[in-house]
Amino acid sequence: MKQKRKLSIGLIAILLIGILSACSNNSGSSESNTIRIGLAAPISGTQAQYGTAFKNGAELAAAQINESGGIDGKQVEIVVSDDKGDSNEAVTVANKFVSDKSILAVVGHFNSSATLATAPVYNKSKIVQISPSSSAPGVTDAGEYTYRVITTDAFQADYLADWSKELGYSKVALIYEQSDFGIGLLDVYKQAAPENNIEITATEAYNPGEKDFSTVLTKIKATNPDAIFIGGFYNEAALIAQQAQKLGMDVEFIGVDSLYSEALLELGQQSVEDFKLIGFFFPGGDNAKATEFAEQYQASYNSKPDTYAAYSYVATSLIIDAIKEQGADRESIKTFLDQVKDYEGATGTLSFDENGDVVTVPSKLKVENGEFVLSE
Amino acid sequence: MLFQQITNGLTIGMIYALIALGYTMVYGILKIVNFAHGDIYMIGSFLGLFFLKELQVPLYVAFIFSAVVTALLGVTIERAAYRPLRKADRIVPLISALGVSTFLISVAQLIWGTEMRPFPTTFGAKIYTVGSVTISEIQILILVLSCLLMVGLHLFVKKTKIGTAMRATSISLTNAALLGINTNRMISLAFAIGSALAACAGIMVGIYYNAVYPTMGYMAGINAFTAAVLGGIGSIPGAMLGGVLLGLVEALAGAYISTQYKSVISFAILIIVLLIRPSGILGKKEIDKV
Repeated sequence: MKQKRKLSIGLIAILLIGILSACSNNSGSSESNTIRIGLAAPISGTQAQYGTAFKNGAELAAAQINESGGIDGKQVEIVVSDDKGDSNEAVTVANKFVSDKSILAVVGHFNSSATLATAPVYNKSKIVQISPSSSAPGVTDAGEYTYRVITTDAFQADYLADWSKELGYSKVALIYEQSDFGIGLLDVYKQAAPENNIEITATEAYNPGEKDFSTVLTKIKATNPDAIFIGGFYNEAALIAQQAQKLGMDVEFIGVDSLYSEALLELGQQSVEDFKLIGFFFPGGDNAKATEFAEQYQASYNSKPDTYAAYSYVATSLIIDAIKEQGADRESIKTFLDQVKDYEGATGTLSFDENGDVVTVPSKLKVENGEFVLSE
Repeated sequence: MLFQQITNGLTIGMIYALIALGYTMVYGILKIVNFAHGDIYMIGSFLGLFFLKELQVPLYVAFIFSAVVTALLGVTIERAAYRPLRKADRIVPLISALGVSTFLISVAQLIWGTEMRPFPTTFGAKIYTVGSVTISEIQILILVLSCLLMVGLHLFVKKTKIGTAMRATSISLTNAALLGINTNRMISLAFAIGSALAACAGIMVGIYYNAVYPTMGYMAGINAFTAAVLGGIGSIPGAMLGGVLLGLVEALAGAYISTQYKSVISFAILIIVLLIRPSGILGKKEIDKV
């Protein structure tokens, strides 16, 4: 019996070694004729849908360059690695990427906390990291190899505070996600409120993935605000709007660009009508690149892209352009990014400042008849 | 505001209670925690969505279909993942349960995708105002249907012959078998009933939040498990009481202390209750025979 078990353990070990060596063989052979870009995103776990959007956006950018013959005849390959939206996993992924010399740059990570945790790894190895979505203020100082194509929360919250005043809100309640992202939004909005004559009636936090907002909304209802500012993502925003309606609340909603998604409309239905938000990616408006991207995305995946797919597409396209211009070298990608000026992409015209933060201007949007339209 | 918060708390508490019943019935008989139960609830919700959207059946038919199919799924899981391990150490079925849980989530992600999906029904949106309390149609459905299901289960277990056989099985598997009870059938029945109740809870939550997604079973499962332990795991009235209590504590702690700490508060209460009464509020004291 015991011998049998030993034998089977031996067999499994041999099998494992076989599989592992097969894997390394694969990556070895592909090194020579492909250009490899890392993509770190939550492919599984509670944020899997955002990770999928990342993957789709990046792979679309790669597919387009490959169809037109690749870069100097080399195909672009997106190497996807799952960070599960977890900072610890993210560091593991980052270490894997930097130690693989064939990876030229990394698109990622999704969460600001993951980007902040991995920035030291990428910066130490001098490899460019472009986050499509990490908007926490802290990312500004994360290192010279850390870039992002999304504006900071500080910028967005400040912009929204100005807009709130224009819309005539004098009492606003804040609901924010309990994370670097949500707290960042809260702090800036709260700070900008007094100079815009806005009174903050309540600030309520929720944990990412929360579904039940009835408690929070009942509390807010008692403070009677003109509008609710949502510092979070579209799933929760849709739930908040729906549940507010079920509580019979008569209130407007305003939020950041991360709410821009078909899911907000589908999940929120009539409750998100007249929802105000800002957007950098807005197909069908005055940005032809955005419309073009949305059509190509629709053709490839048979669904409409959300903001994150667009950001990921832009980040990947920038890296591809860098390699096209400057050659397949980690350092020259950084040189290219530092020189980018008024790059016209799906998320608007962008440049990078000296901290690797993006400089761009958003569109003011609202929901009308179940669709996003430009708000006047 | 107090009454509104109580209504909110009761609604979600009823859902916890329905899911908790599945944990408690299986634990009562097999002394294992079926950690895949939260995901069975998720599958029930998706099946409801499927019947409503693809087959266009009326809502009550979707409830029945989904409950039946989910019950069959529960029975199959017991057959495939727990029964072969009945004689194994108690940790083994636990690992198997986690495996089933991952399996169900992955299957759901493959079939239905990773994103949140709206529930295709117009039912439930109407709201009524009674004094200072606003209550929606779906909240009324949750409160009424949950009560009916729980009273039904209670009567079934207490008054019918099969119910008596189930209780006998939960007291002692061996003795019940010696008395001529087909204990395997009783175990299957416990899984079937627990899964069907979870499916009903899943559909109601789907309508309440207008959202279903593959990982929805995780937090719901943890909360319901907490409710079951709070009420006394293995005890059916305990699961009902635990669920309602947990829902109320979460709503009131959220309202009067802090929404950020509502889970902290409910878990702190769980720990305190377990320190004072290790077998839960309504749990029977068990004497471990050495």
